[in-house]
Amino acid sequence: MTPSAEPIVMDLQRKPNIHPATQAKGEALVSALAGQRTSVDSAAKYLSALPVPHRRVERWKHTAVSGFWADYSEPVVQTIEAAGCEACPVPGLHAYRIVFVNGTFDAEASDLPVHSGVRCEPLSMSSAGIEAEGNLESREWFAALNGAFAAEGMKLLVERGVVLDRPLLVHHHTHGANSANIMRHEIEVEENAQVQLIHWSTANEDASGMVNIMTRMQVASGGIVALDKVQDEAGAVHHLAFEQIKQAGSSQVRIHTGTIQGKWVRNDLNFELNGEGCDAVLNGFFLPKGREFVDNHTTVDHRAAHCTSSEQYMGILYDSSSGVFNGKVFVRPDAQQTNAYQQNGNILATDKATINAKPELEIYADDVKCSHGCTIGQFDEEALFYARSRGIGEAEAKAMLVHAFIGDVLEGFAVQEVRLEVEHRLATRHGWDTWNDTIENA
Amino acid sequence: MINIKELQASIGDTPILKSLNLEIKPGEVHAIMGPNGSGKSTLASVLAGREDYDITGGSVDFDGQDLLEMDATERARSGLFLAFQYPVEIPGVSNINFMRAAVNGKREHEGLEPIKGKDFLNLVKEKASLVELDGRLRNRSVNEGFSGGEKKRNEIFQMAMLEPRFAVLDETDSGLDIDALRIVANGVNAMRSPERSFLVITHYQRLLDYIVPDFVHILVDGKIVMSGDKELALKLEEEGYDWIKEDVSA
Repeated sequence: MTPSAEPIVMDLQRKPNIHPATQAKGEALVSALAGQRTSVDSAAKYLSALPVPHRRVERWKHTAVSGFWADYSEPVVQTIEAAGCEACPVPGLHAYRIVFVNGTFDAEASDLPVHSGVRCEPLSMSSAGIEAEGNLESREWFAALNGAFAAEGMKLLVERGVVLDRPLLVHHHTHGANSANIMRHEIEVEENAQVQLIHWSTANEDASGMVNIMTRMQVASGGIVALDKVQDEAGAVHHLAFEQIKQAGSSQVRIHTGTIQGKWVRNDLNFELNGEGCDAVLNGFFLPKGREFVDNHTTVDHRAAHCTSSEQYMGILYDSSSGVFNGKVFVRPDAQQTNAYQQNGNILATDKATINAKPELEIYADDVKCSHGCTIGQFDEEALFYARSRGIGEAEAKAMLVHAFIGDVLEGFAVQEVRLEVEHRLATRHGWDTWNDTIENA
Repeated sequence: MINIKELQASIGDTPILKSLNLEIKPGEVHAIMGPNGSGKSTLASVLAGREDYDITGGSVDFDGQDLLEMDATERARSGLFLAFQYPVEIPGVSNINFMRAAVNGKREHEGLEPIKGKDFLNLVKEKASLVELDGRLRNRSVNEGFSGGEKKRNEIFQMAMLEPRFAVLDETDSGLDIDALRIVANGVNAMRSPERSFLVITHYQRLLDYIVPDFVHILVDGKIVMSGDKELALKLEEEGYDWIKEDVSA
C-alpha cells in the first residue's frame, strides 16, 4: 500500500455471502420495530444498504448476533421505583443523575444538573436530528438500527469554559422480558469545558431483550471528558454499546469500561482524533463467568499530528465464558509525531474459556511511536504456589492476582466512588472476601 | 518436630529422592549439603507441598500430623515455612497486602480474628527491622525489582512475620554478598528458640559460620549418606564431595 493510501476505517462489504435467512431475520426485526415506532429516515436508509452482521463479516467473525433475533414487546415497567432498583447504584456518590428504565426517561428518579452553561435534557424533549452520513450509522448495521429507532437518551451540552461541578451519572436499567431499549446520548463539550460522566447499566434477574446504546460525543479544543462506564446486568440482556468520539485539538477524553456481568456484551468504541495535541485513553476490564460473552472492539483513528492514545484492555475469563478483543489503531499520513500505545492481556481461568484477540495497527506516517502487546495466558502457577506456601488460600491468591492484573485499569476510573463500588461488586460476585477487606482499609 | 521416613519422590519417571530419612527435634538446626542434582531443592519443595512431584513412598510426620496429606496452604498455616531459593516476583501485589493475607490466613487457622490494621503495621515494623528491610521495599510489589539480597531478606522478613515452628531455608545464601549474608543470618539466629527448628539447605559451608547447625547431613543421589556435626561441613569445604562419593560406592 502506498503511504498516501486512505485507510479503510471499517468494513464496507456489502452483504458478502450472506445467508438469506440471516438477512431475513434482520429485516424482520426492522419491520417489527417500524410497526412500533417512527423511524428516522436518514439512518433507516442504511439498514437496507448494509449487511446484517454475520460470521463472515470480519468485525463479527467471533460475535454471534442470533440473540438479537427475538420478538420484542413494549415494556410494562417504566420507572426505577416500579423496577425495584436504586436510582443511584453507587453508595455515597454525589452526582447529578439522569435515569432511564427500559429506554424511558424517569423524571422522578433523575436529578438533572442545574448549572449555568450546562444543558442536560432527555433527547425526546430536544429537536436534534441524526446525521448518519460519515458516522457509524452509515457503516454498521446495528448503529443504523440505533439511528433509525432511538427515541430516547440524553442530550448534554457543556458550554465553553464551563466545568461541571459534580459527575453526571447516566443510569440505564432494563426490567422484564424482551424489551428493545434503543437509546442515544448526544454530548457536546465546547472549548475548554470539562465534565465527568458515569454510564452505569443494570438489569433485573429476569430481564431479557436488547440494549443498543449509541453515545456520540463531540469534544472541542481544550475540552476534557472522563467517562466511567460500568456494565452490571443480571438476566439475559444482549447489550450493544457504541461510542463515537470526535476530538478537536488539545482535547482529552478518557473512557474506562468495566464489564462486571452481562450475558452478552459488545462495546464498540470509535475515536477520531481530528486536531493536534489530542489525548485519548481507553481502558477496560472484563471478567465473564458461566457462559457469558464480552466483546470489546475499539478503533482509534489518528488523523492529526502530535496526538497520543493509550489503550489497555484486561480480561479474565472463567468457566465456559468467551471474549473478543479487537483493537484497531490507524495513523494517517499526516498524523506525524503520534504516540499510540495498546495493551491487551487475557487470562483464561479454565480450559473451556476462550478469547479471540486481535490487535490491528495500520500506520501510514513515518515519524511515529506505536507499540502494542497482546498476551493470552493462565494464572501464574509459580506466584500461586508462592502465595500458598505463605498460608494464603488458593482462591484468595487468585483474587490477589486478579486485582494486580486489572489494577491499572481500576485505578484509572475517574470517580473514586465508582471504582470502589466496582471493586465491591466484583468481590461479591466472585466471592473475594479479602478484596472487600482491602477496600475498607484503603 | 518433623520425622521423614523412607521418603521417595520422583518427577515424571525420574526418581529424585530415594528413601530419605531425617528426624529433626524441636529447637534443632540441621544443615543439608550435597552436590548439584542430589535432591536438596526437591526435598524443600516436597516438604512445602509443591505439586510437581509424585510422592512414591515413605511418610513425613509433622508434630503428629501427616504432612503429605496437607496442601501447601495448610502446611504453611500449620507452621511450616519455606524460604525460596528463587523468591517469586508478583507484580501488582504489594508486599504489605500479601503479608496481611498470609498473617490472617494463619490467624484464621488458629481461630483468631483478622489482625487489626494498626497491630499489623507495628508487627511489620518490628519484623522488618530484624533484616533491615526498609519501608520502600515493604510497600513495593512482592519481590518486583528487588535485588538478590533484598529478595532473600524479604524471605526472612516473611518468616519472621509468620513465626513458623519449622523453617526450611533453601539455598538462602545463594547470590548474597557477605553483608547481606550476615543480615540474613542474624535474622535467622534471632528466631532460633527451643520450640523452633530449622533445616538449612546449602552448597557452601560459609553460611554455617553464621548459622551454626547442630547437625550436618550430606545428601547424595537422593539419600542421606553421612551425618555429623558442624565439623563435617568444614571437611567438605576442604575436600569436596569426591571422598564421600567414593566412600558410598565402596
